[in-house]
Amino acid sequence: MSEMKEMILDVVEKIFKDKVDKEKVDVVEEGGWAEDVWSILQDNELLSVAVSEQAGGAGGDLDDLFNLYRLVGKYAVPVPFLETTFANYVLEHSNLNVTSANVTYSIDLNQPLIIKNGLVSGKIMNVPWARHTDELVALATSDEGMKLVHLNLSEATIQPNMNLACEPRDTVSFEDATTQQEAEMSDTQVTHLLQLDTATKVALMGGAIDKINQLTVRYTKEREQFGRPIHRFQLIQQHLVLLAGETAIVNSAVDNLIAALLENRLQNEVAYARIRVEEAIKIVATSAHQVFGAIGVTHEHSLHQFTRRLWAWRDEGPGEVYWSNQLAKELLASSSESLWAYLTSTEKVLQV
Amino acid sequence: MFKLPTIQFTAEQEKFRLEVRNFLQEQLVKGTFKTKCDSWLSGSDPAFSKIIGEQGWIGLTWPKKYGGQERSSIDRYILTEEFLAVGAPVAAHWFADRQTGPLLLRFGTEEQREFFLPKIVKGECYFGIGLSEPNSGSDLASVATRAEKVEGGWIVNGSKTWTSNAHDAHYMVTLIRTEPFDGVKKHNGLSQLIIDLQAEGVTIVPIKYLTGEHHFNEVFFENVFVPDNRVVGKLGNGWAQGLAELAFERSGPERILSTFPLLDELVAELKKQKDEAGLKEVSKVISRLWGLRNLSIGVAKVLEEGGEVAIPAALVKSIGTKFEQSIPEITRLLVRTYPRLEAERQIDRFMAESILHSPGFTIRGGTSEVLYGVVAKGVVAQ
Repeated sequence: MSEMKEMILDVVEKIFKDKVDKEKVDVVEEGGWAEDVWSILQDNELLSVAVSEQAGGAGGDLDDLFNLYRLVGKYAVPVPFLETTFANYVLEHSNLNVTSANVTYSIDLNQPLIIKNGLVSGKIMNVPWARHTDELVALATSDEGMKLVHLNLSEATIQPNMNLACEPRDTVSFEDATTQQEAEMSDTQVTHLLQLDTATKVALMGGAIDKINQLTVRYTKEREQFGRPIHRFQLIQQHLVLLAGETAIVNSAVDNLIAALLENRLQNEVAYARIRVEEAIKIVATSAHQVFGAIGVTHEHSLHQFTRRLWAWRDEGPGEVYWSNQLAKELLASSSESLWAYLTSTEKVLQV
Repeated sequence: MFKLPTIQFTAEQEKFRLEVRNFLQEQLVKGTFKTKCDSWLSGSDPAFSKIIGEQGWIGLTWPKKYGGQERSSIDRYILTEEFLAVGAPVAAHWFADRQTGPLLLRFGTEEQREFFLPKIVKGECYFGIGLSEPNSGSDLASVATRAEKVEGGWIVNGSKTWTSNAHDAHYMVTLIRTEPFDGVKKHNGLSQLIIDLQAEGVTIVPIKYLTGEHHFNEVFFENVFVPDNRVVGKLGNGWAQGLAELAFERSGPERILSTFPLLDELVAELKKQKDEAGLKEVSKVISRLWGLRNLSIGVAKVLEEGGEVAIPAALVKSIGTKFEQSIPEITRLLVRTYPRLEAERQIDRFMAESILHSPGFTIRGGTSEVLYGVVAKGVVAQ
């Protein structure tokens, strides 16, 4: 990673450390809006980080973006930073104009909007942060095939709802709304969009897992029972090892996923990473809560702000159910002479 | 937490992978060897090791002046993966290639390198690793085999146990107490001596594995003379020298792929049956494998640059070996098998090999419990 990147990440981490604490997250979970966090991100031009310089953005790439999403997960940042930055990334890469408004997105093949006679109708559930944003980027079916549409939320009915972590996940309905802009999407583009969207969530979840590991290690050093810090007990150490293992695997999974995306040699990394992260969540949440004991299940403690997010996020977007189906179909169709040949397929590398 | 580099094989490396794969396929077709699970430790075949030596694939990373190829450790990683994926019998030269060579290159004398390395490279000189003793298992620093200084060398008395393939090996790198035992500083006064297993006073007694196969040995030393020039590195520095080898020993593909031939066969079977639900289960297994492989290759890259990887290396072994053990358990729920070592049907034989060798995976080379201790203490200290 370049020095420039490290600098951006340092700056953002400092902002999150300063501005986002347990109480801030609580306020948003109770329905509030963290204006100070949002405006400092805006003032530092971080909301356009994934937009190219030609389009008036900060000119970052996917590496910046996904590493920033890790930080969002690590601090449970309660603003639509991921949504706004990724929506703009999608707009620009679909040859549409980016927007300076607060924008969210929903890429869900199960509930696309419908375009008829140039007008958009339909209902999408679980749109993140819709009530706090002004615009939406979504998929819509039309007679010409799948389209990406950019809509103004002032034309929508928004019914507030939330996920397990009390993050806004609203129901958004349109009736004969006009699009601000739209682009046709090929199947390949839709697949790529699904992959990228899944990758954003993998990075987010990776950040939260990393944080839970940190919190747990620290707690075992501070908490004393039977006259000594609890990390001295071998049964507690077993939990620390599970957490360290899952965290190490998830961190390197995210790194390898980002590398494959950047180097344009993506094969099944998105599916592997997503499936593996979902497995890690089960282990990490269980062990962390067990180590923290009763204090960890109180609302007063911050642990749940991360475990509830993981439990919520793992069921958002295409997850293990979707990706393991895709992998099974691919394996069945593959002509590789063995699983090993399939896993180490060199096509993409040898083309370069 | 620790940051590891990502995997990016070069086109050159990918070509090398295919070169190795094609060669092994040819040998398989010729009948030079039979695919086997756990082949890196239980598949000892000196004739096959010589063939691999002729290919230049032993001591791949070592300097050319000793017969090596001066290739990168990632090339060696690829080579090892290909051996394991096809279950080739590489056990005879395994320890000499993985441990003894690097040990001598790091700590050995020029005379030792010139004497041993060219023979190892040819696939003609095998090493055992003499660590555990009847009363020293996980508590390795308590070893009692001792050497007394005499004119021109040392007289060794004691015994080593669980020594894999000592019966095929020519020499053994042996951890020996060369100074009296210090109850407080147990790690002091240990040295690594190369013992010629043909020497007078050495007795090798088989310990049959639970399958009845001859794999382990107990090795007894009765007044065995070891000349001064067979001491590796510094006298009394044996513990530190041994530790340096451990990260290599713990993080390689052999901690992930011991039962891969079974997984490969499972997928072939499910594809034949067009069992999409079964393949869906397998996709989770593959995701785990991918995660472990990232970690393992990341560690290999850091090791090449001389970085510190004790914790991730211990994680690769403790998680990877559990993964290896899970393959037969998953397989038996997805396809019908009847495990038998003599089975004609490949999947039945691989099942038998995997099940019967599984308990050893999480014991050999440092039990999972010892590794958990390393990791837990490491993360708390960070």
